[in-house]
Amino acid sequence: MGMTRTVGPFGAGAAAPVVPLWYRRGVEPARAILHLDLDAFYASVEQLDDPSLRGRPVIVAGPSSRGVVCAASYEARRFGVRSAMPTARARQLCPAGVYLPPRFDRYGALSDQVFGVYRRVTPLVEPLSLDEAFLDVTASRALFGGGVEIARRLRREVKEETGLTVSAGVAEVKFAAKIASDLGKPDGLTVVPPGGTAAFLAPLPVGRLWGVGRVTEAALSRLRVATIGDLARADPARLAAALGDSAAAWLAALARGEDPRPVVPDEESKSVGAEETFEEDLAGAEALLPWLRGQAERVARRLRAAGLAGRVVTLKVKYADFTLVTRRVTLDAPQDDGLAIYEAAVAQLARADLSRPVRLTGVSVSGFGAGEREQLGLFAAPPPPGREKRERLNAALDALAEKFGEDAVVPASARRGR
Amino acid sequence: MELKIAAPELARALARSLGIVEKKSTMPSLSHVLLEATKDGGLKVSATDLDVTVIGEHRCEVLKDGALAVSARHLHDIVRSLPGDQVTLKRASNNYLELKSGASEFKLVGLPAEDFPALPRFEKVKFAPVKTDLVLEMIERTQFAASSDETRYNLNGVFFESGQGAVRMVATDGHRLSLAERKLDVDFGLKKGVILPRKGLTELRKLLAEGAEGDGQPVDGELGFVENNAVYRRPGVTLMMRLIEGVFPDYRQVIPAQQEKIFNLKRLDLLATLKRVSILSSDKAHAVKLELSPGSLKVLSQNPDLGEAREDVAVGYEGDPLKIGFNARYLTDVLEALDVENVQVELADDLSPGVLRPVAEEGYTAVIMPMRI
Repeated sequence: MGMTRTVGPFGAGAAAPVVPLWYRRGVEPARAILHLDLDAFYASVEQLDDPSLRGRPVIVAGPSSRGVVCAASYEARRFGVRSAMPTARARQLCPAGVYLPPRFDRYGALSDQVFGVYRRVTPLVEPLSLDEAFLDVTASRALFGGGVEIARRLRREVKEETGLTVSAGVAEVKFAAKIASDLGKPDGLTVVPPGGTAAFLAPLPVGRLWGVGRVTEAALSRLRVATIGDLARADPARLAAALGDSAAAWLAALARGEDPRPVVPDEESKSVGAEETFEEDLAGAEALLPWLRGQAERVARRLRAAGLAGRVVTLKVKYADFTLVTRRVTLDAPQDDGLAIYEAAVAQLARADLSRPVRLTGVSVSGFGAGEREQLGLFAAPPPPGREKRERLNAALDALAEKFGEDAVVPASARRGR
Repeated sequence: MELKIAAPELARALARSLGIVEKKSTMPSLSHVLLEATKDGGLKVSATDLDVTVIGEHRCEVLKDGALAVSARHLHDIVRSLPGDQVTLKRASNNYLELKSGASEFKLVGLPAEDFPALPRFEKVKFAPVKTDLVLEMIERTQFAASSDETRYNLNGVFFESGQGAVRMVATDGHRLSLAERKLDVDFGLKKGVILPRKGLTELRKLLAEGAEGDGQPVDGELGFVENNAVYRRPGVTLMMRLIEGVFPDYRQVIPAQQEKIFNLKRLDLLATLKRVSILSSDKAHAVKLELSPGSLKVLSQNPDLGEAREDVAVGYEGDPLKIGFNARYLTDVLEALDVENVQVELADDLSPGVLRPVAEEGYTAVIMPMRI
């Protein structure tokens, strides 16, 4: 046979059981999952901080000629401006818009505040990005009332405390909650009643399902499957023939409203990094060093803020042709000092081809290894002269950054894109 | 090439090569063994990864001399599974190896002998005799402490030095150190210490444990150093390893002179206690806490995710109390490597290294840095 196909746990062509093996229906009681999504988050923050922008089309976009739209206010969306659209295109569609560079520090701070509100009702908060999160409030219902009530409360408290509006979807499974919050935007609350997931999904186009891209959508349309309801009713054997056993089983389960994926709370970070795409490609170490310095300093500050220090420093270099190389080094001792991280990154830069133009560099630190800090070393030389001084300096700089912003005091040799 | 050889003899030759050949190499010949049949009635089997090389000479009936390289693993797996005790090997056209034994016949794709890397040949090695059980013991007491962190390549082996009628082997990973010393009045002609690579020592250990006829009966060999290589040989086999080029840290300065808090324990009792208690230590750090007070040693572990464990061990100790944390693995590695009845533990304070030695035996010292608790 000239065809390969994935054979599921029941073997190729075996009749019927299209439910993944690991999904056991009815094992768990109905869950209450919330998907909370801040409306046009970055643009809303700008309108919040500058009242004169309210009611006007606000577009947060990378300032560079090669930038893309990060967020567009609902006023701007009426002109057809969308996230991820090239800024140049947005300017054509909406020349009268207010174009602002992103202020990630501010968004991050507000996001923390909003997620703090979420965590009042459950520790099971799974952030998807700065503005989106899943919450599993199944066990919180005993304390705070039903899922719908909790969603109302969170929307109200976020609005009162930050001035931002958040759209919410309430459902028994994650992906239905996400679709629901999207349908209610902006400032909406959409509820998928318990047991009603399949009925809620049925009229929606299959493209709404996670994992259905253009290719799958085309394959499904050949089977005359246009809506999620069509998919739920489709003959499993035909689906399997068109999509492969495992994909078919997975999508059919989703279409029936079955999605056993749990809400996974934010994991502890495994690496801390900073990177930048340059406005124009840079060539040679000389041009890159100031950027690496800035990136190393930012990484170091975040490490110190999180109380982490890592032994592995990774340098990432993306060339103009988008090829990517990474070079890493393991240090003798965990580091959280910007200069030390910078020096390690510079040493790695020598191992990259610098004759080619570079589009992006990034520096990250990992290898926080539990307990590594507690295990004492045999040959641990007395700390190098000046280390204590550097630690005091870093503490002072961190305090300044806390008060006046990340860019209040930076090394003169550091650069950062704005 | 055509020869007849006893299957167990060939299997032994191939087993020696298995630890050396590279499984995933860009050079296919490094996964091969070189078979060379000589007119005087011998089969030479060589394997190398360019750093460690083993060459064995085996008795056989040579019908026609010649040479060929074949996949070490496949030939080993075949020979080991053969029912008969005689094997015929023959080089066929296109570098195939024909293998026959009883009713079994194999044809293995091989490489011409010229494709096999050139093996090091040393003319003027100054060998000195070594006692097999002595070297074996010294390797077993030190090698475990060597670092496997490739970025600390100078610690990826065991330091070896000789002089004043003794040989010393020392290994450390930066957190613990193991030193073995034995009287041996021979001259290796070494001006300074050298670093023997871990992989080479693992192969040497196997050879030493194997015995003359593969029967475990110790047979003594000799050791020599030449051109940045260590060479071990005994009749029928030669093992060469490239020394690690690097500076070994000054181990003397980290061995504490005199510690105040000293007590003795039965080695196996402490080992069993540590193994039980560390079941609840975290996977990575294996941390245990020792609480020493007059007459008693408490060994404790706790883990926020799992729970806690404690065990009380009676000790003849009369000094000041001390609480100190250790990676239990560092302690159990030492206790497992020592073949003695009682061990002496010497401590100072919670941030200073602990020392372990056999009671009533000179020549071994383990130094272990504590963990902060």
